[in-house]
Amino acid sequence: MKAFDGYNPIAVFIYYAAVVSVGMFCMNPWIIGFSLVGALVTFFIRNKLSGAKSHLFFLLMFAVMVIINPLFNHNGVTVLLVINDNPITLEAIIYGIASGAMIIGIIYWFRSFSQIMTSDKLLYLLGSISPKFALILSMTLRYIPLFEKQTQKVVHAQQALGLYRDDDFLSKIRGGIRVFSVMVTWVLENGVITSDSMTARGYGITKRTHFSIFKFRRHDIILTVTTVILFAVMLPTLITGAINFEYYPKIVGEETTVFSVLAYISYGILAFLPTITEAEEKIRWKYLKSKI
Amino acid sequence: MEILKIEDLSFSYPLCEKKALKNISFTVERGDFVTVCGATGSGKSTLMRMLKKELIPLGELTGKVYYKGKDLDTLSEKETTCSIGFVAQRPEEQIVTDKVWHELAFGLENMGLPKDVIRRRVSEMTCYFGIEDWFEKSVNELSGGQKQLLNLASVMVMQPDILILDEPTAQLDPIAASDFIATLSKLNRDLSLTVVITEHRLEDVIPAGNKLLAMENGEIVKYGETRSAISALYGNKTLIEGMPAAVRIFNNFEINTPCPLTVREGRDFIEKNFSNEIRSADKKEQKNEKKDAVLEFSDVYFRYERDLPDILRGLDFTVYENEIFCILGGNGSGKSTSLSAAAGINKPYSGNIKVFGKKIKDYKNGDLYKNCLSLLPQDVQTVFLKNTVKEELADVNMDTSDLPYDLSELNERHPYDISGGQQQLLALAKVLSTKPKLLLLDEPTKGLDAYAKKSIMDVLKKLRALGMTIVCVTHDVEFAADCADRCAMFFRGEITSCSSPKEFFSGNSFYTTAANRMTRGYYGGVTTVADAVEIMKKNGAATK
Repeated sequence: MKAFDGYNPIAVFIYYAAVVSVGMFCMNPWIIGFSLVGALVTFFIRNKLSGAKSHLFFLLMFAVMVIINPLFNHNGVTVLLVINDNPITLEAIIYGIASGAMIIGIIYWFRSFSQIMTSDKLLYLLGSISPKFALILSMTLRYIPLFEKQTQKVVHAQQALGLYRDDDFLSKIRGGIRVFSVMVTWVLENGVITSDSMTARGYGITKRTHFSIFKFRRHDIILTVTTVILFAVMLPTLITGAINFEYYPKIVGEETTVFSVLAYISYGILAFLPTITEAEEKIRWKYLKSKI
Repeated sequence: MEILKIEDLSFSYPLCEKKALKNISFTVERGDFVTVCGATGSGKSTLMRMLKKELIPLGELTGKVYYKGKDLDTLSEKETTCSIGFVAQRPEEQIVTDKVWHELAFGLENMGLPKDVIRRRVSEMTCYFGIEDWFEKSVNELSGGQKQLLNLASVMVMQPDILILDEPTAQLDPIAASDFIATLSKLNRDLSLTVVITEHRLEDVIPAGNKLLAMENGEIVKYGETRSAISALYGNKTLIEGMPAAVRIFNNFEINTPCPLTVREGRDFIEKNFSNEIRSADKKEQKNEKKDAVLEFSDVYFRYERDLPDILRGLDFTVYENEIFCILGGNGSGKSTSLSAAAGINKPYSGNIKVFGKKIKDYKNGDLYKNCLSLLPQDVQTVFLKNTVKEELADVNMDTSDLPYDLSELNERHPYDISGGQQQLLALAKVLSTKPKLLLLDEPTKGLDAYAKKSIMDVLKKLRALGMTIVCVTHDVEFAADCADRCAMFFRGEITSCSSPKEFFSGNSFYTTAANRMTRGYYGGVTTVADAVEIMKKNGAATK
């Protein structure tokens, strides 16, 4: 089990909503730092060091953002140098770094989120909002691969009949139209079987319940409660702007108070929650093993 | 206890003069396993639908169906849905959702049952069917046989008292099919579940059931305990044709004993009633003329993707001019893949395939598909795209007068509405429109009844007489024994043995025809029912 895989999708969703919403709208360097590092650690815990290429891509993206901002944005009071009558300012460079870090952080949160939230978990989430929509989505997820497979079969069948060729543009289009019309018939005819199968099992008789294999366990409650408390601690500072941070024209942070320190600590803990739960689990296993 | 009572039921489809069902009356007791047999178009499927209220098609219906003494119409929807389960033919299209667990829960969700009840029933059923391993899988990862088991399991979670099955194994390979039947008979035995099933492949079903209902032209010919019902059908050619081999052999003689149903009983019947002084029939010496090679595979390797294992591993074989070459073998052994490789659809990464002495690569501009070779895919619905049979044939400029069979009476029908055997013949007609000299067929007898199978065999033999070479991938040993010139066994991507059907099936002891298993060690070289009957007649009655 890797960080958050075994948790209830609702708990995971609440957690990600909290961590991403703050990380996305607050440009405070502390918050950005926690968000970025937390997201990266969470991702690396799940994937170890595999997928180096994708990391390289995001590093490049970060670099581009850092370079582009000062080239096009000339706000700021501290001019470092002038290129073609355009001033390059320190503030713009720092803003570039901050916003780059913020975006990369959010991207990595979403990367681990999409790994954790497999299609059935997403369906469960949707299902708790609208069971009907969840069923439609589930049927679609079932039908798309089936459709693809059948299309492939049709293409091959028509090819072997000599009726589908892809040597040139015109015959490709002609072949495509053939395959499409075969598939239309197939969908219409076989849809009847599916709908029979649904009626045979009582679809539409009474109001459906929504079954899932996910339970809301103790650790889900702990995660949700922790998330909510940490978010609640930050909330006043977010609303009053006590941790706001100005980049233009001059870099100015709000005064550090007890509340803002508390907010930083809360967000720090929040961003590292997946890491903490993972570490806790590892330690527990080590401990269990030594007992055995 | 009487669980189902059908009283004077008649039905006709709209705009159809002929009645699909005529005055049907019968009763089913709790715990019965009723096999419904009859040729295509005898009204079997229509009858099955009459028993499942939700699926009764549009049309004119008279008569009554009683479930546990109550009129089906007076029962609540909830009651009828739960107590009468229904499984149809095509495994793939019956599945509604994307995950195995969700599919199992689907019916119970529809009933509005609370989560805890669903959880319990689903887990119970998963254990009973032994499918824990695929509980969290996507349904797309399952094989055809697994899909059909899933369909059965997701009906069984509703805890029905009676199960109606309409040709559930028609689309499965023989091993998956007998697994499925075994599961049904376990359910019947363990839970005294009442089963009503229609089937074409009766070899496994008939011994599993205790009653038989034979239908012809929408009427019941005979209904009763299996053995006595079969005895009563003595001499009825069309119905006996589809029966197990033992029954077919029995029907050639007038011997007053109970009719044998299984291979074991068939063997007893032969040994008791016939001597074996003449051990084997005179073999007609086959002339070994030198013939030209039509299709040559030499050391062919193929895989679908770089990271996947090889499907064809050094495949080597040659098909000669003007023969019917049957490739048999298990599921996933690569049989079908080799056919599409021969048709130039799958391209091997090593080795050569030659068609008429010329490498496939050297055929340009679709020349391979003009007057050369043609492939009939397993799923014939992949070639239909028009609204009527006539348009379908016009689509490929097929001159029907060239065909060795007649499709004209189907002209105005929709290709999806005609029977499986007719679909197969229609698809074959489309395939023949390119005037191929080499015909590749992928399981041409899948899901067909005995009569349709016979007509396909006749057509293939006629085509051979016209000089065509036919390569045929099949699971159907009876079919291969009857019409092949040579048979080959496919195993793990290569051909492990290849010889004439007589030699081939006499050499195998499991993968062989029922007639051969029945006579093994008693007579030699028997592969088909006709062979067995011939040699039994020669030997005459046992002198004991």
